[in-house]
Amino acid sequence: MGKTWLRDYLIKRLIYSVIIAWGILTITFILVRAGPSSPADKYLANLTASGQDVAAVVSAIEARYGLDKPLWEQYFSYLGNLFRGNWGWSFSTSMPVMELIKTHWVYSFQLILLSSIFAAILGILIGIYSAVKQYTRTDYTLTFLSFVGISLPNFWLGVMLILLFSVKMGIFKTYYDTTLPLFSLENLKALVLPVMTLGTGMVAGYVRYTRSAMLDNLRKGFVTTARAKGLPERTVIGKHVFRNAMLPLITIIMFDLGSIVFGGAYLTEIVFGIPGLGQVSFNAIFANDYPVVVAVTLIGTLLVLLINLVTDITYTYLDPRIRYD
Amino acid sequence: MKYKTTGATTSIHAGGRLASYYWQRTRRNKLAIAGLAFIIFLIFLALFGPFFTMDPTEVNFEEKNLPPIGFSVEKSTYDIETSEFTTTIIPGTWKHPLGTDNKGRDLLAMIISGARISLLVGLIATGMAIILGTIIGVLSAYAGGWVDNALMRFTDIMMTFPFFLLLVLIVFIFGHSLIFIVLAIGLTGWTGTARLIRSESLSLRTREFVTAARAIGARDRRVIFRHLIPNVMSLIIVITTLSIPGVIMAEAALSFIGLGDPTWTSWGIILSAGQHTLDTAWWIAVEPGIMLFLTVLAFNFLGDGLRDAFDPKSNI
Repeated sequence: MGKTWLRDYLIKRLIYSVIIAWGILTITFILVRAGPSSPADKYLANLTASGQDVAAVVSAIEARYGLDKPLWEQYFSYLGNLFRGNWGWSFSTSMPVMELIKTHWVYSFQLILLSSIFAAILGILIGIYSAVKQYTRTDYTLTFLSFVGISLPNFWLGVMLILLFSVKMGIFKTYYDTTLPLFSLENLKALVLPVMTLGTGMVAGYVRYTRSAMLDNLRKGFVTTARAKGLPERTVIGKHVFRNAMLPLITIIMFDLGSIVFGGAYLTEIVFGIPGLGQVSFNAIFANDYPVVVAVTLIGTLLVLLINLVTDITYTYLDPRIRYD
Repeated sequence: MKYKTTGATTSIHAGGRLASYYWQRTRRNKLAIAGLAFIIFLIFLALFGPFFTMDPTEVNFEEKNLPPIGFSVEKSTYDIETSEFTTTIIPGTWKHPLGTDNKGRDLLAMIISGARISLLVGLIATGMAIILGTIIGVLSAYAGGWVDNALMRFTDIMMTFPFFLLLVLIVFIFGHSLIFIVLAIGLTGWTGTARLIRSESLSLRTREFVTAARAIGARDRRVIFRHLIPNVMSLIIVITTLSIPGVIMAEAALSFIGLGDPTWTSWGIILSAGQHTLDTAWWIAVEPGIMLFLTVLAFNFLGDGLRDAFDPKSNI
């Protein structure tokens, strides 16, 4: 008992994640190969425009990408290359895809990190308040507002914020200034509107999750016990109810990161011209730069896998009651 | 999309009596009814609106960038002969109640035409995803063993893909015609439904009425179609209503980043064009966004009301 099951569980969970990762890579490979046009065709469209010999170009590209080899061989070299960190060549920017990602990931990261912090603090506080004031006018108003928040399309919200604060009032720039150093006050100011854009929906979601997680616990026996002991209400809510509501909350927040936040960040970057991975993928779509579009989706997906794994493992450490068999 | 369920499902058949019972319960929720009213209004607008508006593709540069009714813009014109700027104030006209875009197209007509696209994509793609999810969920629960295992591992893999990023990839690879967009959403959006339906079916499968049906010799097909499906119907209705807004938003987002079908005027496409003319014609970006927002909000309110009516304890 004790340590052994935990180790066994971790190993099992790790193997499982590897299988899922393999599934993700395989599905992506199938999608790319099943497409009506091969990567070579899209590449071709760019080259024939400059008037080169079509047949020669086709065979040169096919040889270069290994498209002339049998499918299973392509599949294994694809897996091998991804594993070795060789993610292909981006012709529209003339650099390896890995390099491109290394220079741009930090912009996405700062946006997602700041939005998450902003949303978690605000969302959880409002959610707790709403739960404590259940069925009052304040609670109804906050619930209504959270509905409005999750229903606002974030790319439209971004455009509206630019219209109001940049075009009409002139407080912020209409576009994200890429020359600013990352760790500076100006950069933080430039991120105010993007964080509001990405964060609003997240805040609304967290308010709802927190409220319902708090309500699940508010009527439990241990809360009555804590109150009966004469603990101040602040301690009862903060220590007893919130701590118990926190675990399911963390899972949902982590889940949101993949399903909602990554897509939201993609759009937010495009609205504000932030040169993160979403913007990179967006530019690649118009340049028909195949490897880049595939890489950005793959990175997002593998990150979700990693986040799920870490969440699960933390969960088992945080909550000793959980046993997986 | 994440759904949680308490395992208490309710049947909506029984000769319509239960359906009217749940309708009574939904009716008490004013926001849900407001949502329903807006959706009905939108459906009428999409169905019949285009017969009363002008052609949304008709370009008229004489009347470009006209403001909506109640607003006016200043327009400077340069006179070559006197080399002077003259400023005229142009008010909105009833000919174009919502104004015109930068090619002089009527925005009211464009937005009504966009409502068609949004509803069409929202309903068909969601329908596909829900049907697929229900089939996979019921099959998984009913077959059990390796079928269940294989289907659920596949669901896990598909669920790991961030929905929007997967959509972008598929639409990029397969081309952005409306059919592919609908297919892409339908074929990727089923995972949450499959899991929910599976867990509901698993708990229903062991209930007495299923055992009783089996005991009197009902075949698998009868058990599935007469006992399992009707009992998860309420759940299906709620998931459908709550999935539609996400799908409508996804289509608009795809159009917004240029992966929409350019042959149709959708809200996302109008919005995408409008974001570049914020300083000269703000209404182009504002109007389709308001419609998109209200539509999503209406479906969310209705879905929430339905869920409360069917199962007050659940918090999907």
